[in-house]
Amino acid sequence: MKTDVAVIGGGPAGLAAALKASEQAKVMLLERENELGGILPQCIHNGFGNFIFKKMLTGPEYAHHFMGKVEKSDIDVKTETAVLEINEDKTIVATNPSDGILEIKAKAIVLAMGCRERSRAQILIPGTRPAGVYTAGTAQRLINIEGVMPGKRIVILGSGDVGLIMARRFILEGAEVEGVYEIMQKPGGLTRNVVQCLEDYGIPLLLSHTVTNIKGKKRVEAVTVAKVDKSMKPIKGTERVIPCDCLILAVGLIPENELSKQAGVVMDEKTGGPVVDEHMETSVPGIFACGNVVHVHDLVDDVTMVSEIAGEYAAKYATGEIERGKEIKVVVGDNVRYVVPQFLRSIDMDNVTFYFRVKEEDKNVKVIISESMAIFEKKERIVKPPEMVKASVPSELLKGIQNELRIDVRGKYEK
Amino acid sequence: MGKSMNDSRIRKKVEKIARKEGGVGIGVRVEGGIVYLDGKIDSRKDFLSLGSSIGKIKHAGGVVNNLEYPGKKKREKKQGKKEKIGEADVVIVGGGVIGCSIARELSHYDLKIILVGKAEDVATGTTKANNGMVHTGIGEKMGTLKQKLCVEGHQMYDDISKELCIPYKKCGMWIITTGDSLAHYKIPSFLANFIAKRVVPFIILRRGKKLGIPMHLVKREELLRQEPHVTEKALAAVYSPTYGITCPYLFTIALAENAIENGVDIMLNTEVVDIDVKDGSVKSVITTEGVIDTHFVVNAAGLYADEIAEMAGAREYTIHPKKGSTLLFDKEYGNYINHSMSALKFPRTEHYKGGGIMLTVDGNIQWGPTVEEVPDRDDTSVTYEEIERIFQGYSYLTPDFPSKTVIAYFAGLRASTFTEDFFIQPSKKVKGFVHVAGIQSPGLAAAPAVADMVINILKNEGLPMNEKQDFNPCRKKPVVFRELGNEEKKKIMEKNSLYGRIVCRCEQVTEGEIVDAIHAPIPALSMDAIKRRTRAGMGRCQGAFCLPRVARILARETGIPLERVVKNIEDSYLFVGKAKCLLEVGNEN
Repeated sequence: MKTDVAVIGGGPAGLAAALKASEQAKVMLLERENELGGILPQCIHNGFGNFIFKKMLTGPEYAHHFMGKVEKSDIDVKTETAVLEINEDKTIVATNPSDGILEIKAKAIVLAMGCRERSRAQILIPGTRPAGVYTAGTAQRLINIEGVMPGKRIVILGSGDVGLIMARRFILEGAEVEGVYEIMQKPGGLTRNVVQCLEDYGIPLLLSHTVTNIKGKKRVEAVTVAKVDKSMKPIKGTERVIPCDCLILAVGLIPENELSKQAGVVMDEKTGGPVVDEHMETSVPGIFACGNVVHVHDLVDDVTMVSEIAGEYAAKYATGEIERGKEIKVVVGDNVRYVVPQFLRSIDMDNVTFYFRVKEEDKNVKVIISESMAIFEKKERIVKPPEMVKASVPSELLKGIQNELRIDVRGKYEK
Repeated sequence: MGKSMNDSRIRKKVEKIARKEGGVGIGVRVEGGIVYLDGKIDSRKDFLSLGSSIGKIKHAGGVVNNLEYPGKKKREKKQGKKEKIGEADVVIVGGGVIGCSIARELSHYDLKIILVGKAEDVATGTTKANNGMVHTGIGEKMGTLKQKLCVEGHQMYDDISKELCIPYKKCGMWIITTGDSLAHYKIPSFLANFIAKRVVPFIILRRGKKLGIPMHLVKREELLRQEPHVTEKALAAVYSPTYGITCPYLFTIALAENAIENGVDIMLNTEVVDIDVKDGSVKSVITTEGVIDTHFVVNAAGLYADEIAEMAGAREYTIHPKKGSTLLFDKEYGNYINHSMSALKFPRTEHYKGGGIMLTVDGNIQWGPTVEEVPDRDDTSVTYEEIERIFQGYSYLTPDFPSKTVIAYFAGLRASTFTEDFFIQPSKKVKGFVHVAGIQSPGLAAAPAVADMVINILKNEGLPMNEKQDFNPCRKKPVVFRELGNEEKKKIMEKNSLYGRIVCRCEQVTEGEIVDAIHAPIPALSMDAIKRRTRAGMGRCQGAFCLPRVARILARETGIPLERVVKNIEDSYLFVGKAKCLLEVGNEN
């Protein structure tokens, strides 16, 4: 089987990439579930599409917009299709119940597998292993898709967005939420979610806290929570046992890159995803990546926007239209944890948008992009680690760069 | 006469120990080499230290430690049912690797055999938390029954793994000496290094030669060439090429399935609550499901072996559980080492039991296990201290290993007796009652040899044994999608398209395999039972993705509502009800 562009993953990233690529090339979209949309169908809360549609849509509504377009396009959609292997020569081995084993030779590949949740083991919570410990995303699927309740008396560990949204969801289902416990000194999710999902419902948020034990044989019977010190170690004597039947873990998301690694792309330790250029092309020519596979986004709108770039240039690659210039590295400077793209190669778009996260909260700062001197500056009223920052830089400012590009968040501006 | 001489000698030694260790005033009785302790003592610590010291007395055949201490818990006795549910030539108590090995070996003969297990599946107790090492026997105390059966059992694995189609790899093992091997002794470091490098390996090699275990000395340079991630502190290693690994629960399930195919009746969710003995002989086994008449009981009840023996009036040892915790790492780093490895340290530190950095047949690396005495026979919790201890104890061997990639940890309990050896013999008190107790590591490796030994005991005890003509040693291998080549995958999908639908993405488990497990000879009726058979949920996401999907398949195949699916044991429901159920007025659920 042959195609110009093979897109792996039918979530928001894959849908946008496939649609954009199909304007110029033959596209195959591979999705392991039996329907498209990725995680969106289980996100029945609103808040999607604010930037792209200027409307607050629900996850299914947002997904349906793109699914409808895919249906009308000539994209070859293969659902229930799991990719088993990607080789460096861009051959994909996949399986599904109707075709058996598929071998797809693609000219370009877009990796759009999304992310997965960190599990209990990654944060090493001691205790027994009863039923009733779920990640927030699993709980979301259980309630919203499968129609079953994971518990009725809930403790949530972690204040990432999925955890916050699930706190509210549990309340709406008539369950009790004992509290949301966060090991950091600041909440992990968007401010709007802290307000709309916890404060509006009177759910307590306990910062600098963690779960230190899980008790129960058949089902969770109780968890122990404790305060933590500055090095995030539990403080002796602050333990409290909270009777509950369910522990929900919202302790972070990890880009799902097993296939990317198999394909031999170079990874960025900080993002957990492949390093990409401004076209979202990885270190392997013709293999592109977009969405949460590259780094975990706050908003689906951003996923859609970068994925369109990935789709467009994957199609261009497949049809032989990409020209590459000198490779310019983008390095992180003051108060920047990571930045995507990690390097520039062509600078042939109108703008290059840099997505990055800060290390520490700060107010009234400047985002400065510089070579040896600043070439671009942007004011930000407030920056926080959980909220992604963007800087869209006109390409004409970037042309002619010879050395590394550096991005800093510092300095104060006058209000 | 000789025997009682022995008894009085043992008694004197016990009394001496009791005086020394503060156990004055306790009642001591010695009968046929078995030491019985009664009375009151201050603490569990004393209970353990007295028991262990007495267990070390030469010729002491067993220690029944009935000493009471403040806080000692008694288990509630369950009620049995009176109606007769069967009769058997032999009843095996316990569905772990030992019970199932014995069941399968006994199924060679024309006998009516019933195996009863209190859990919902086989391999749910000590066996489940085993780290899968098929030891050669080199690490065991010379001259113990443990060691003898381990050496024999290990040699039987080549054949038995083929017959039962279970994974078994001779992955090899490094026994490494380091600059810290003798750090405990205050000797100059050049001398300590010399001993660790030149003397210790030769002692091990000589032992191996005596036992017929192939091993050879490997110099530091060669070790570091073959294992680039091993600590620079390594001085030398003994390489043991036949060291093996298997999957403890798949092995047990395979044994049980093959036993069933050969006529053994396996009754799960059936707990033994009493054993009826008349005129000094076994008459029947009373369970929570009913009564089974029999003249022979094989007690392979693991952590509960002493309680089962007590029911028959044949208590000849006390089990004191020892917990062991293990950390399991992401497969992504499964190639970090090429062989299992263990660092020698003298003397052995309190909380580490041999152990080391071990490979699994599934391609993970595991660190552990630890050792800790615990009072509760069901305490499989992993503590913060244990996790820390494992990191401290095992990060030493491969210092640059990405130890943040833990995907799971678990604890299991060893069914140790105070004599710290296997206790396999017919009861001296009750005819027809056979003890197979005290089976801790290397019980997995020894299991096939233990079964052979039990067959001989039963023969000697007068069980008539005629070999079956139609015994079938081979078990059909279930489909394991991820192990197949693309051509084979195509072929099986033509037969059943469900093999083309991946349900567990981390371990590439298909719906076909899950359906097969649910309808296997021992049906997998819980999430954990499916997990043990197929690995669905055992990967890096630990079921976050596949749990809803597997639960739905299980509900569909068994016809139960989704909200009644259990994790493992009865009432371990995954869900508390349907969505909206908590909103319904008047619903107390």
